[in-house]
Amino acid sequence: MAAQRTFTKQAIPKSMTSNFRGQSIVTHSSPFKPSTLSITQITTFRVADFHTSSRRHILPAGPQVINGTANDPAPVPQPSPTHGSYHWAFERLISAALIPLTVAPFAAGTLNPVTDAILCATLLIHSHIGFQALIIDYLPNRRVPKTRALFMWALRAGTLLVGVGLYEFETNDVGLTEAIKRIWTA
Amino acid sequence: MLAQRFIQLSSRRLQANQPALSKFAAPAAIAARIQARHVAFQPSSSPVQTTPAKPSDAYSILAAQRRLRPVSPHLSIYRPQITWYLSISNRITGSLLSGGLYIFSLAYLASPLFGWHLESASLSEWFGSLNAFAKGGIKFMIAMPFTFHSFNGVRHLVWDVGKELSNRQVQVTGWGVLGISVVSAMVLALLV
Repeated sequence: MAAQRTFTKQAIPKSMTSNFRGQSIVTHSSPFKPSTLSITQITTFRVADFHTSSRRHILPAGPQVINGTANDPAPVPQPSPTHGSYHWAFERLISAALIPLTVAPFAAGTLNPVTDAILCATLLIHSHIGFQALIIDYLPNRRVPKTRALFMWALRAGTLLVGVGLYEFETNDVGLTEAIKRIWTA
Repeated sequence: MLAQRFIQLSSRRLQANQPALSKFAAPAAIAARIQARHVAFQPSSSPVQTTPAKPSDAYSILAAQRRLRPVSPHLSIYRPQITWYLSISNRITGSLLSGGLYIFSLAYLASPLFGWHLESASLSEWFGSLNAFAKGGIKFMIAMPFTFHSFNGVRHLVWDVGKELSNRQVQVTGWGVLGISVVSAMVLALLV
């Protein structure tokens, strides 16, 4: 009972008690009696207080699962430079490498097949990382773990096939840069 | 007092959920409020019901409370600003470019199966058959995401080395990148 009383009192916001024109909610109950408001009533008031316009549920709250006890801290993942700073630096290295690779054909005026192949490989890695970031951001593991796994595997398969496709294009056709040039000036 | 508050809130919620009712709900709420005030001033022993809760109910109450927490409002309530507009544009343009590359490569790989002609020779032949407006339009629509994502990518790399990070600098570089992207995309589109 003691636990419930402190919980209830904390849950009442100042704005709500001030609306009672001097007759605050605390005076309703004696210090030895728990507050007369139930939890559900208070929470309903609080939500209604907050939303003065119509509520639109874009992402309604899913089932709330409490792992362990309510006071457990959030699990801290094992620190790993492979998933942290190395990964971050690698992403930047790939992005930065795209600048000279993109500028080189313009600057040199000629097209080198090796440069073109490196450009294709770098673009593929850059795209893969970008799509990975999209999946991680918009398909959170705690909400849609299966959909996320499905998309991740689809991306891996897709990147692999795209790599094969680019290899075919590079070996059988004129190469990415030359192809764009020919279409652009057609 | 609580009864008055309850009627006020429920009429407000009704009004918010069904705007068509607002014409009728507003006077009704006022009338109910006057009535409720009369009732509320009469001394009553227990204005609301009490629900007893056991300590073992703590988790279910906590879970129920969490579900009632307010969710973030939709993006449309935020003021359009160059900072976050360019941020999401960077992601959208990158997805378009990479998506295009992926779709083309997969289609090229599958083309022998379906008899599609996606070789550079037939593609350039098709593109050459278009009129000047269509050519310019298509080129601009491809060049614009490319130039924007490229220049904004450089802006991101500058941030990554810890430069140009103040609010003012982010806005200035943002407008700069936008200007350079549009101009260079137009130059590329007019290139023949």
